Amino acid sequence: MSFLAPLFFVALAALAIPVLIHLIQREKKQVVRFPSLMFIQRVPYKSVRRRRIHNWFLLMVRLTALALIVLAFSRPFVERDELGVAAGGAREVVVLLDQSYSVTFGDRWDRARAAASEAIDGLGPDDRGSVVLFSSGAEIAMRSAPAGERQRLRAAVAAARPSAAATRYAPALKVAGSILAESSLPRREVVLISDFQRAGWRGEEGARLPPATTLRPVALTGDADRPNVSVTAVSLARSTFSNQERVAVTAVVVNRSARSLGNGQVALEIGGRPIQTERLEVEANSSVSITFAPVTLAGNFMRGTVRAGDDALAADNVFHFVVSPVQPVRVLVLDRGGAAGGALYVTRALAIGDAPRFEATLRQPDAVSDEDLRRASVVVANDVAVPASLGRRLQRFVEGGGGFFIATGARATWASDVDLLPAAVEAPVDRSRGEAARVGALEFGHPVFEPFRTPRSGDFTAARIYGYRTVQPVTGAEVLARFDAGAPALLERRVGAGRVLLWSSTLDLAWSDFPLKPVYLPFVHQAVRHLAAYAEPAPWLTVGQVLDPSVGGAASPQASGVVLTPSGRRVGIDEEGAEVLELTEQGFYELRSRTGDTVTAVVASNVDTAESDLTAMDPKEIIAATTALPETVRQAGATGRALTPEAQERSQRLWWYLLCVGILLLGADTVISNRLSKT
Amino acid sequence: MSLLDAHSPSAVPGARFMDPVVLARIGNLSLVARAVVDGFINGLHKAPYFGASVDFAEHRGYVPGDDIRRVDWRLWARTDRYYVKEYEAESNMNFSVLLDVSKSMDYGTIGITKLDYARILTACLTNLVHHQRDRVGFVAFDDDVVEFVPPSAKHMETVLHVLDRLKPGRPGSLRRPLHKLAEHFGRRGVLVVISDFYEDPETVVDAVTPLRFRGNDLVVFHVLDPAEIEFGFSSASAFEDLESGEQIPVVPEAMRRDYMSLVRAHIDALQQRFSEVRVDYTLLDTSKPLDHALFRYLTGREKKLRLR
Repeated sequence: MSFLAPLFFVALAALAIPVLIHLIQREKKQVVRFPSLMFIQRVPYKSVRRRRIHNWFLLMVRLTALALIVLAFSRPFVERDELGVAAGGAREVVVLLDQSYSVTFGDRWDRARAAASEAIDGLGPDDRGSVVLFSSGAEIAMRSAPAGERQRLRAAVAAARPSAAATRYAPALKVAGSILAESSLPRREVVLISDFQRAGWRGEEGARLPPATTLRPVALTGDADRPNVSVTAVSLARSTFSNQERVAVTAVVVNRSARSLGNGQVALEIGGRPIQTERLEVEANSSVSITFAPVTLAGNFMRGTVRAGDDALAADNVFHFVVSPVQPVRVLVLDRGGAAGGALYVTRALAIGDAPRFEATLRQPDAVSDEDLRRASVVVANDVAVPASLGRRLQRFVEGGGGFFIATGARATWASDVDLLPAAVEAPVDRSRGEAARVGALEFGHPVFEPFRTPRSGDFTAARIYGYRTVQPVTGAEVLARFDAGAPALLERRVGAGRVLLWSSTLDLAWSDFPLKPVYLPFVHQAVRHLAAYAEPAPWLTVGQVLDPSVGGAASPQASGVVLTPSGRRVGIDEEGAEVLELTEQGFYELRSRTGDTVTAVVASNVDTAESDLTAMDPKEIIAATTALPETVRQAGATGRALTPEAQERSQRLWWYLLCVGILLLGADTVISNRLSKT
Repeated sequence: MSLLDAHSPSAVPGARFMDPVVLARIGNLSLVARAVVDGFINGLHKAPYFGASVDFAEHRGYVPGDDIRRVDWRLWARTDRYYVKEYEAESNMNFSVLLDVSKSMDYGTIGITKLDYARILTACLTNLVHHQRDRVGFVAFDDDVVEFVPPSAKHMETVLHVLDRLKPGRPGSLRRPLHKLAEHFGRRGVLVVISDFYEDPETVVDAVTPLRFRGNDLVVFHVLDPAEIEFGFSSASAFEDLESGEQIPVVPEAMRRDYMSLVRAHIDALQQRFSEVRVDYTLLDTSKPLDHALFRYLTGREKKLRLR
């Protein structure tokens, strides 16, 4: 019931008028002077009260008449949805069952399934029911089954298992909304069974239920004061000791309960075997970090696990990670040979690198073997004459995914028939007299210059360039840096799967003092890292993320044919990488070749630790956000269509009846009061 | 002349209370009936007190201390015993009317208020007594003594004058003024109390009884309006207490039965309690003729005397 003109309710103050008249009349009533009220006072009070009741009837008639008239002026109308709901009818019930891993806390999962079964049992003979399981996503386990198929609905609930994903309400509510929107039944109901974690609600996110839908929350809260410890993150500190790479693991443990934990244990497992166990003491609602002794990296894909505590929510007590020895970036440096070899500064710069480590190999252009090119990730040619044959081999190398960095000095030559470089190299420009050239106009958005983006993080203009080669960029090449005169200084071109960088001066002191400047070292490192497409593999992923088959780093995508999930399930991955795999379980995913069953990569999958925070929200917040309607929608009917003027008038006709009854009551009041006054 | 006519003002103060019709009807009563009232008509009634008088009553044995002049020597001569002669006293006694003039008495629904009725009654009785040459006195009280005319054979006019200018004033109570008056009426006589007795029977009797302590003969007239007895109201009204001003909304039809039973119980209780303390109690309804009331009283007194 709503009102078109609720301001008229102010007129309800007029109800005081009959009361006042009644009181005033009573004061002016005939007064009989009597010698003594001694006996009248002794008569039981009922006689006086009876008189009041008698008059109150008249008063109530008047008050009711006035109230009805005021109500009529406020133009009440009944929404059709309310009428439909009030009238009853078959229901479309959608049971949303939370299967995020937080429901494994205590007996919540059992209670959740019991509540779902209860909702299914409550279906009437004409009702229809759906079961939707949700965590970070939503899955329809049974869609709009008639009440006669309760067994199937119950079986869907019984078959549900808690997942390793976090809670998100919006997708589930959207699915429920789509099921209800397609339903033709007059009543719609959503039963939301969840522990209502605050972290799962990020605003409505467009999840709105159809009009006149009832959202009934079933909260699985309670026993929240039980201890709950979770491992939220692990950091890996690499070091080298006796030519062996070691890694020190530091785990962060958070206690989210109101109780402090004093006698817990946190253990590090490598390859499934416990390595070290530490005592765990965490205050209530605080965190602590525990660093384990460094572990030597024996081989690739070393699986590590940190386990902390033993509480009611077990999933977040475990944290998996995968660590491998760092693979060096192999760089083939072409040198002219002799004492004045220009590769000195480049090789020195590459020798300093640690993350990643660079492994430089010097070769004269005519001594480069196919094996050298196969092993190398990047080839650097500083002011050398590249023969046409080597140029063609380099072209194949780059097209196969390699990187090529060429610096063009006075001696640099390139076979014109090999289309690899980003520009055609032409005559040198001598800037040794007068003002030397400076490098300006850098493309800071490019990965090579991205580290120098922020102010005071590298000044390229400090380098003086005394000579450079004029270049003519080819189609598809990108100029990343220019000299102050506008001539291109650094160009890039993608060729096949690889990249080529061209520095139009030298990387030694022959034409510039660039190698003596602070920006030289990070520039060379960044350029080589970019050309090698180097990316450190993530030690772990989170449930819900997508598994990239090429995540194995050194492993080639073609080898990743089968994925073995933590539960032992085998999932085939398309060789072209078209099909991706979403991580749904907690543990280690193994990528294996389709043929040889050799492990090509291992990925650790951890639960979303935001789910560990069991702080509950008020379900009314969700109800208000998903069932409230904007005023414009409210004006429309349940079907979303605007009402016709006749239909609007019909729904507002109530005022007419109220007015009639009010006037009739006033007439009755007149008759009654006349009769009373005569007696 | 009717009561209403008697109530009309007159040039002579108190004259309107001398209703000849009423007095004539009382005069037609037999002399015996008149004599029942102590001292009402001198010489016709027997005094209840034994003493020296003209009418012989009886002999009694001589006891030391008796006046030897009262010894009947003739009887001693015949019987050789000493006897004393007793005579019935023919006294000029004191007669006082104690009239309640509280505000509740100023009420009447049939053209005469209870106070006016009581005034007429007082005047009649006073007149009656005065003709017997007894001393008449008068007291008006509400919650204190308002007027006091000491008993005297010459106070007839004064009493009538005081009666004439009486006005109901304050709310009344019985205990305080009557207890005060009990100390004043030392000489034995007849005291007539006229009131509407709007107090608990116990309180009323407790207030009135001390007047008897010094040998006074006490007569009580309970004056009520017919409306107070029958409660003949019909429309719902606010009833205002004449004395306190308090108002109560009342639906008379609904409470008439309860009210009447309460009033009846009150009257019965007064009757019972007064008879227990040997006080003559008479209920007077202002709608009934005054002579009827006096007649009822006098016949009642006669019966009582016969029992003695």
